[in-house]
Amino acid sequence: MKLSKKVVLLGHFGVGKTSLFRRFIDNEFSEDYKVTLGVQIKKKVVEMPDGRELSMIIWDTEGHTDIEDTRKSYLLGSNAFIYVFDLTRIDTYKNLSEDLDYLTKNHPKVIIKVIGNKLDLVNEKETLKNLEELNVKADCLTSAKTNKNVQDFFSELATEITA
Amino acid sequence: MEEQDKLKILKELLLTEEKEYADSIAKKVEELSKIVHQKQKLSHKVDPIIDDKLEEFVEEIPKTLGPTITQTLKEEIKNSQDAVVEALFPIIGKMIKRYIAHEMRLLSDNINKKTKEAFSFKRWFRRTKAKAQGISDGDLAITDYAKPRLIQMFVVEKDSGLLIADYSPLSDGTIDKDMVAGMLTAIKGFVEDAFQGGNQNLETIEYELYTIHIQNFYSYYIAAVISGAYNLMFKEVLEDQIIEFAKNHISRRDLENSELFTNKLKKHFEDEIV
Ligand SMILES: Nc1nc2c(ncn2[C@@H]2O[C@H](COP(=O)(O)OP(=O)(O)OP(=O)(O)O)[C@@H](O)[C@H]2O)c(=O)[nH]1
Ligand SMILES: [Mg+2]
Repeated sequence: MKLSKKVVLLGHFGVGKTSLFRRFIDNEFSEDYKVTLGVQIKKKVVEMPDGRELSMIIWDTEGHTDIEDTRKSYLLGSNAFIYVFDLTRIDTYKNLSEDLDYLTKNHPKVIIKVIGNKLDLVNEKETLKNLEELNVKADCLTSAKTNKNVQDFFSELATEITA
Repeated sequence: MEEQDKLKILKELLLTEEKEYADSIAKKVEELSKIVHQKQKLSHKVDPIIDDKLEEFVEEIPKTLGPTITQTLKEEIKNSQDAVVEALFPIIGKMIKRYIAHEMRLLSDNINKKTKEAFSFKRWFRRTKAKAQGISDGDLAITDYAKPRLIQMFVVEKDSGLLIADYSPLSDGTIDKDMVAGMLTAIKGFVEDAFQGGNQNLETIEYELYTIHIQNFYSYYIAAVISGAYNLMFKEVLEDQIIEFAKNHISRRDLENSELFTNKLKKHFEDEIV
C-alpha cells in the first residue's frame, strides 16, 4: 500500500524555505537568493524505522509577511505545516503566535512544526535566551547552509505524520 | 495607465525568470561593492574605522537587500490584482511551462522512443493498408498524426493534490507522477482562486502538443493527457467514458486503496478510447 503525505513550507520572504527544501531533497545549498513565485513541489521517499516507505510530497510556497495572504488552496489537505522563521530577523517571528493561531483555527487536524533557520549566523546560546524572553517556541533550530539538524528534523516529522 | 501597459508590466513582473531576477540583483550588488571598495581604498589611510563599517556593509548587502527587494516585487503584484485576472490566460501558459516543462519532455522523449521502435513495422503496415484502400501513404500519415490519443491518466485527491492512481498506456514511468499531480493541483487552485465566486473549474490546459483534460468529482479529479487533435467529439466521448467509469466502477473504498483504483483504471481504459 502506497504511503504519501503532503507537507507545506510556510513563512516570510527569504527565511530559507527553499534552502531547507533543497537541502533535504537534493542535499544542496546556494547563497543566491532566488525568490519563489507561486509554489514548487518535489517528492522525497523516506525510509521509515519500521521499514515502510513514505513519499513526502513537499510544497515550497512563496513567502508572505502576512500568513493570510498565503494561497488557501495550497494549504488544503495537508498532513503537516512547517513554519520557518529567520533567526537573524525578528520581523519574521514577531507575529509567530498569531500566525500559528490562524493556522490551527483553519486547519485543526494538521501537525504544525516551527523552525528557526540560519542557525549558523547566530550564537546559539544567546538566541535561545532571546527566543525565551520573547516567548517564541521553536521545535527545531536549523541551518540549511551547514545541514545542521535538517535531516533529523524531517526524519522525526516523517515518523510523526505516519503515526 | 493604459490597460495594455498595465498588462505588460504585470506580465514582466510575474514572468521574469527566477534566474534573471537573481542575476540582476547580484549584478547590482557587485556594482555597489565595487564602488564601495574604491572608496575604501581612498579612505584606507584616512580613517580605519570607516573602513571597518564599509566592509561590514558590503557583507550585509546580500542578506538585507534580498528580502527587501522581494517584498517590493510582491507588493507590486498584490497591487495589480485586478489586472491579474485579465492577464491570467497568457500567464497560465508560462506557469505550466515552468512547472511541468521538464516532466513533459521526459514523457515526450518516451513516446518518441516508443514510436521509433514501432516505426518500421508501422510503415509496412501503413503501405499495405494504403494499397488496399487506394490512398497515398502521406494522407494516411496525416490522419494518423492528428488522431487524438490518450497518453496518461492521473486520479488526484482534490485538496491535497496527492496521487491516488494513474495509468499510462504508452510511457513506462520515468516521469515523477506524484510531482505532476501536485503541480496540476497547484495550477488548478491558482486559476480557480482567480475566478472566485464564478464557481469556475479549470477544464483544460494546453501544453505544447498536448491537451490536459480535467474532470472534477466530489473529492478527486481525473486528468487525462491527450496528444493530437483534441476536438469536441473526442472531448465528449472521453467525458462520457470517465463519467461512466467513475459512476459504475468507483466506490469510496477505491479512493483509499491506490492499487485497487489503479487496476480498475487500467482495466477500464485499456480497451476504451481510440
Ligand atoms: N547563512 C545562511 N543563509 C541561509 C540559510 N538558509 C537560507 N539562507 C539564505 O537566505 C536567502 C533566502 O533563502 P531562500 O531559501 O530562498 O528563502 P525562502 O524562504 O525560500 O524565500 P521566498 O521564496 O522569497 O519566500 C538565500 O540567500 C539563502 O542562501 C542558512 O541556514 N544559513
Ligand atoms: Mg523560496
